[in-house]
Amino acid sequence: MANKDIELIKDGKRLDGRRFDELRNIKIKAGVLERADGSAYLEWGKNRVIAAVYGPRNLHPKFLQDPTKAYLRCTYNMAAFSVEDRKRPGPDRRSVEISKVTADALRCVVMLEKYPNAVIDVFIEILQADAGTRCAGLAAASVALAHAGIPMKDLVSTCTAGKIGDEVVVDLGKEEDNYGEADVPIAILPTKKEVVLLQMDGKLTREEFDKAYELAVDGATKVYEIQKAALAMVGGN
Amino acid sequence: MFSVKDRDVVIPGQLLGEKIRHDENCFDEGDRVFSAVRGMARISDNTVSVIPITGPYLPRRGDIVIGVVTDVGGSFWILDIGTGANCILRAETVSRDRNPDMKGYFDVGDAVSMKVDDVNEINDPVLSGPRKLTGGSIITVNPMRIPRILGKKRSMIDMIKNKTNSRISVGQNGRIWIGGEDTQKVVNVIKTIEREAHTSGLTNRISAALDRSD
Repeated sequence: MANKDIELIKDGKRLDGRRFDELRNIKIKAGVLERADGSAYLEWGKNRVIAAVYGPRNLHPKFLQDPTKAYLRCTYNMAAFSVEDRKRPGPDRRSVEISKVTADALRCVVMLEKYPNAVIDVFIEILQADAGTRCAGLAAASVALAHAGIPMKDLVSTCTAGKIGDEVVVDLGKEEDNYGEADVPIAILPTKKEVVLLQMDGKLTREEFDKAYELAVDGATKVYEIQKAALAMVGGN
Repeated sequence: MFSVKDRDVVIPGQLLGEKIRHDENCFDEGDRVFSAVRGMARISDNTVSVIPITGPYLPRRGDIVIGVVTDVGGSFWILDIGTGANCILRAETVSRDRNPDMKGYFDVGDAVSMKVDDVNEINDPVLSGPRKLTGGSIITVNPMRIPRILGKKRSMIDMIKNKTNSRISVGQNGRIWIGGEDTQKVVNVIKTIEREAHTSGLTNRISAALDRSD
């Protein structure tokens, strides 16, 4: 993990010149796909993500139907050209995991009981990956769901924090993710500050974790403002 | 205490007010009322409701819907009306015959306009009064825009019908059947209404546009 050959922090600044509590540039646009019920395009640093929502629609296979609530299905996929070495297309262990944690996070907010027996399909397509794609994908998916007009209790806002070169920083970039000591992606409900996703890769002490958590929640709150602005634009469905 | 003004655009989870009454597309936690969808807040007296900008169609009693037959059974048809729910039209709505000629009435792929008699607790509609829509074509629009396309007391749709001399059947589920000479013109007009539904003075502009191209 830790690679001493790469100096991740120079003169109190990170590799790309950011401060420790500074996010990369984020841009979100809702309603980019004509045929989807809801969609969003997100740029987060060098990440490029499209999320699409279809439904509520008929659920097949039928044994998955639940007469008390809808079923939320999420598919996270990285395009073969999204990373430097070609990614072998198709689901793998990592994308199945991310699909699952994303679906679990979204099930906390979507009012599934309004659409019994139906399915809400969420597709997250990573066109270009540069660390933090599960957060980028989840943030885009939440905007796409709101754009589709599906009733939700809140949006889902996300951010990562981590440890690089003995410093706890927010929103890791690609090198920081690859050569850093730890990575903590979180997703929160911004108005209630409830946690719907929390993972940790690497080792942090209790104090470092608390600091990383604070930083990530602050970052997610900033992401929420961008999500809000993207949804406030009426028209251009 | 309201936290938003009338006609504000709100997003899911946004606080609308405290100690107020709420109507459609809102939810409450204790005294606090939040919006559940992205839409426009409407305030009247002490009650807030949210009109969604986009959204799925949920059947309601009294609606007219347009569906496409996807399967024919011995005593029922299964239709696609664009919702997640199963949608069954029973044979006794068209015939008293014990063994009716099902495919003689409606076959797979036929477009049918029906009335929603009732809706059960899982949003399955009970349908009646089916009418086959032959010829013409069907377009799909955002179901939330249907009231605007119909206009007050159907004024908008009646105007389009008269000025283009076409037959139009509007389903609340966002499907519009158009029969007549100049289908493309009607489609263009309806797409314009859908796009500009949130602007005012639309009826006059649509009327002018229809007169101009004649």
